[in-house]
Amino acid sequence: MARAVWGIVAREFLRFLRQRGRLVSSLARPFVWFVFAGAGFRALFAGPPGLDYPRYMAPGLLGMVVLFGAFLAALSTVTDRDAGVLRLLLVAPVPRGAIAVGKALGATLLGTVQALAVALILLPAARLSLTPGGAALALSAVVLTSLAAGAVGLVLAATIRSIENFAGVMNFAIFPMLFLCGAFYPVRNLAAPLRALAYLNPMAYGVDLLKHALLAPWSAAGYGGELTVGFDFAALAVFAGLGLAAATPLLAREGGVTRAAFPGERR
Amino acid sequence: MIEARGLGKDFGAVRALDGLDLDVGEAEFFGFLGPNGAGKTTAVHIFATLLAPTRGSARIAGHDVVRESLAVRRSIGLVFQEPTLDRDLTVEENLRFAARLWDLSGPSAAARIDELLGQFGLAQRRDSPVRSLSGGMRRAADIARGVLHRPRVLFLDEPTAGLDPRARRALWQFIRDLRAASGMTVFLTTHYVEEAEPCDRVAVLDRGHLVAQGTPAELKRAAGAGSLEEVFLARTGRPLAVADAAAVPPGPER
Repeated sequence: MARAVWGIVAREFLRFLRQRGRLVSSLARPFVWFVFAGAGFRALFAGPPGLDYPRYMAPGLLGMVVLFGAFLAALSTVTDRDAGVLRLLLVAPVPRGAIAVGKALGATLLGTVQALAVALILLPAARLSLTPGGAALALSAVVLTSLAAGAVGLVLAATIRSIENFAGVMNFAIFPMLFLCGAFYPVRNLAAPLRALAYLNPMAYGVDLLKHALLAPWSAAGYGGELTVGFDFAALAVFAGLGLAAATPLLAREGGVTRAAFPGERR
Repeated sequence: MIEARGLGKDFGAVRALDGLDLDVGEAEFFGFLGPNGAGKTTAVHIFATLLAPTRGSARIAGHDVVRESLAVRRSIGLVFQEPTLDRDLTVEENLRFAARLWDLSGPSAAARIDELLGQFGLAQRRDSPVRSLSGGMRRAADIARGVLHRPRVLFLDEPTAGLDPRARRALWQFIRDLRAASGMTVFLTTHYVEEAEPCDRVAVLDRGHLVAQGTPAELKRAAGAGSLEEVFLARTGRPLAVADAAAVPPGPER
């Protein structure tokens, strides 16, 4: 079973390397935001001394890389279904749970690799320095947030019929998750209903952890993490666990296979 | 090797399969003949543990499809109507992916992949992305994928759909070679009468019911018919080709 899980992860990585366009845009996206949004909002932002807006945004941008990297990787399960690869996974002699775990770990790997690649340039560009403890915290935040985003993405992938309506996915999943996670402003400033919504978003806990790791010098001024590190980790673990538990039967449910097969039978 | 007792499957109010009794022996080449919508794929999906039966039971290589699904999946190879290859990966990468899913160790998988690529005429194309292959080559790669783990039973669900005559001939040659080399049981579903003729035994399915079963010669003799086409006509009162067009079931729609 370990080999099967590894096979699923390795395939995800191979596909990622093959898709040059995806590679380039995922690495360029945070810098476009860093430069253009950073330049515009810098003047509106009245942070504490030493914290300008591009620097404040850096943890959120890493969160954005994780979101696009891991969530979209998990969402690609929808195209696996169209390509028949999901059916191959379902006839392979592996427990259904191993398929969900393999896909989620693939998403974790992609989210983490992309976030690390971006961090290598983004953190020096934002003139953020990391202590060894901060680096360890940031890395574990990136890994666990990727896993949680991947698991939640799998549930969405198992629920939607096709990815043709990608604009819908952007509008109703990615953008809300991106904007309601504290990447661009503190969650505590949101009105109560929106804040409640933000705490249903796994990304909020991931970005909060990244703020703990990267913005520690400004936490006394209210610009660091808002929740405790332990609570963030626990919340991410709950999202990962619930997501995997929900995705497993959804991916394997007989309708997913039958409906694909029946039109063929009728053709 | 395949044993079904009173097997049935409903999709809502539609009885896709009803009361199927079937025994397929070791190394047998078994044909499952019927028009589109007869329930052939439904039966194969139950045998492959992709669908739970509504009624009855089935055993593959001695394992119950509901209670021992992992053991069943280890014993079978399955080639679907639609391909299951990742079009962005190369032929070899696809086979390596399948080898990991079926838990073949690295060295033994590499040797088996080499062997199959040679056998299926794909050695020159091992590093080509699947999307660049012809339909026939893609199907060949998919069958190689299906037999990678040396299954005891190979299910071929309409394997020639969409292939030109030359690719069809090549595919049947692969199947003959595989059977000769491995002695595996092959379970073929088809709505083409000529593809069922070389089978050891044939079961004829119509609207979810088995209407005849036996060797092609027996079936023809019993129906006083000269071909399996006429057998179908004698048993159902409708010609196979017409049944094909008429038998569109109200399949499950979302």
